[in-house]
Amino acid sequence: MSERRGVTRHPVADIDDEALDGWIRARLQLLGVDLSVLPVDDASAPVDQRRIFESARRFLRGTLPALADFDLDEQQVVPLTVPGSGGWAAFYDPYAPRSGEDA
Amino acid sequence: MSRADDRPSWDRRDFLRHLSAVTALGASGALAPERWPATPAAGALPAVKLPDVQSAATRVEELTLAEAATLLRQGELSPIDLVEACLARIDAYESRLQAFNHVDPDALRAAARASDGRRGGLHGIPLAIKDNFYTAGVPTTGNSHIYADFVPSWDSEVWRRLRERGALLVGKTQMGPLATSRATTPDGVVTTRNAWTIDDPDVYPGGSSSGSGTAVAAGLALGSTGTQTGGSITNPALAQGLTGLKPTMGRVSLRGIIPLTYTRDHPGPIVHDAMDAAIMLQAMAGPDAGDPRSLGLPRPGDYVTAATPVRRDGETRLRRPMRIGVMPDALDALSKEAEFFATMERLGATIVEIPAPADWDVLTSSEFNNTRLPERSEPFLPELRKDVRQFGIVLSSWINGLLLPGAEYVRGQRARLLLLQRLLDDTFQRCDVVIQSAAIPFDITGLPLIAFPTGFDDQNGASLPRGLLLGAPPCAEEDLLAVVAAWQDVTDWHRRRPDLDAPSGDAKGQLERQLDVLEVEADSQ
Repeated sequence: MSERRGVTRHPVADIDDEALDGWIRARLQLLGVDLSVLPVDDASAPVDQRRIFESARRFLRGTLPALADFDLDEQQVVPLTVPGSGGWAAFYDPYAPRSGEDA
Repeated sequence: MSRADDRPSWDRRDFLRHLSAVTALGASGALAPERWPATPAAGALPAVKLPDVQSAATRVEELTLAEAATLLRQGELSPIDLVEACLARIDAYESRLQAFNHVDPDALRAAARASDGRRGGLHGIPLAIKDNFYTAGVPTTGNSHIYADFVPSWDSEVWRRLRERGALLVGKTQMGPLATSRATTPDGVVTTRNAWTIDDPDVYPGGSSSGSGTAVAAGLALGSTGTQTGGSITNPALAQGLTGLKPTMGRVSLRGIIPLTYTRDHPGPIVHDAMDAAIMLQAMAGPDAGDPRSLGLPRPGDYVTAATPVRRDGETRLRRPMRIGVMPDALDALSKEAEFFATMERLGATIVEIPAPADWDVLTSSEFNNTRLPERSEPFLPELRKDVRQFGIVLSSWINGLLLPGAEYVRGQRARLLLLQRLLDDTFQRCDVVIQSAAIPFDITGLPLIAFPTGFDDQNGASLPRGLLLGAPPCAEEDLLAVVAAWQDVTDWHRRRPDLDAPSGDAKGQLERQLDVLEVEADSQ
């Protein structure tokens, strides 16, 4: 499988704003997040629905295709979360420092 | 001696092998106050051995932390003296600087009186603490409506370590709301000023630890803490002529710090010079049983020794020969910072141009950087469900974090490891430390990064500090400190202070009125 990897550009479907906004609304509703408490379009407010949706559309159109385009060999890397080595040790015995000054 | 021979206690393969998926563990308990004791069952903290650093300073704003600690130990200054000097400057300038969210002069004076007569460690040193560090009994707002009335009952592990070693809390500093952007009110009104342009709100003070940077630059405190997820320690340092150190991920506990991105937040010092950064890091670093991210790393280094300049035959030399790498996207630095590179070669460094790792532009792009966003949204889902208006000006990125599907999040995390592997396998096989043009790659990978001043630039009629970013392999903070300490031993950019009384718009004239260069010499110990 390792030979199949690389950056592969593929055309992004032309999803109009209305369709994308519907997806955003649906996802937020599923999570219980309500944007309707914000003003619809009020430049004097700290934030309004217009700016939230503009930002969300820009985020989705940029980030999702970029990540999808970048192929990774399934043997190449595992998900990096925290680059320390004590996570599981803490799970088993959280009050037993493994090394260092508090030991 | 090879690089590997220099660091027997730390193996990069071990670093990679243990990249276990502990996000869930960290997210589920490490920061939740109800699940962890207010004071973990840690033993007495070891002493931080400070060097004698002599000073010719005559005013508090001229002192470094190390110089002040020396004067305190020698009985030439008292904690009360230092505190009153800081409070006088706060009284004079804070209304314009807006560096703090909270200052309690009475509590500070009481702490100073209690500290008087004690010697050593950080006793009597006034510090400014970013307002996302829990401080028992003191408001901790994160500059957000969400925490507007929050007064924690326990200390963040960082503040506990600093406080138990004698540090005094000057106040909680202004910050970008929830540690994003430069400091503003939660609704987006600019607050903290760059100390070098006290009356010009348009000049960037660095964010999100803006108040921490300004407090130190303006002499309102001897040192400060910041947190960095996307440049928030190093940016204020670069903007205000300071030294900011983002340690290796896990080197300093994050327990008791309002989370922005569980796997990318880094606490660290913002101070005047490498020695001060070393002293602060020595006090802050080490494993914390309450934060699994901090466990399993090698024992903290001897940062104070690393930051102590070495002289041979009367000449400053690097502590050991080192290769300073420069990547293509930082090549501009070679011409702009010619003095730095020429000086470092004279002190024993080798400057090497190195290629960027494969896919560097993609792996460090804003799109890949966006995969951090779900980590900020997840812990705040209850608040997002309750009323999104609580997030004020920063709501968009919390909403965007809710929109990134799990598959893309996992891909982004895998890409982080790929970037880390390539930095360790490619970059750090060719050099020991590397100049960076931006903080993001080292924030993504959790590798240590230091910012330090290298001069001034004219910008719109004002003369503003500039500096460099230097990155290193995991747990190589000592190398970063050694390079910066050598540079600062032969230059005085870190000793410049803004003239807060200069007429507005006369920033350029400030340089002509700079204080006499201090003759500071760190004794080798």
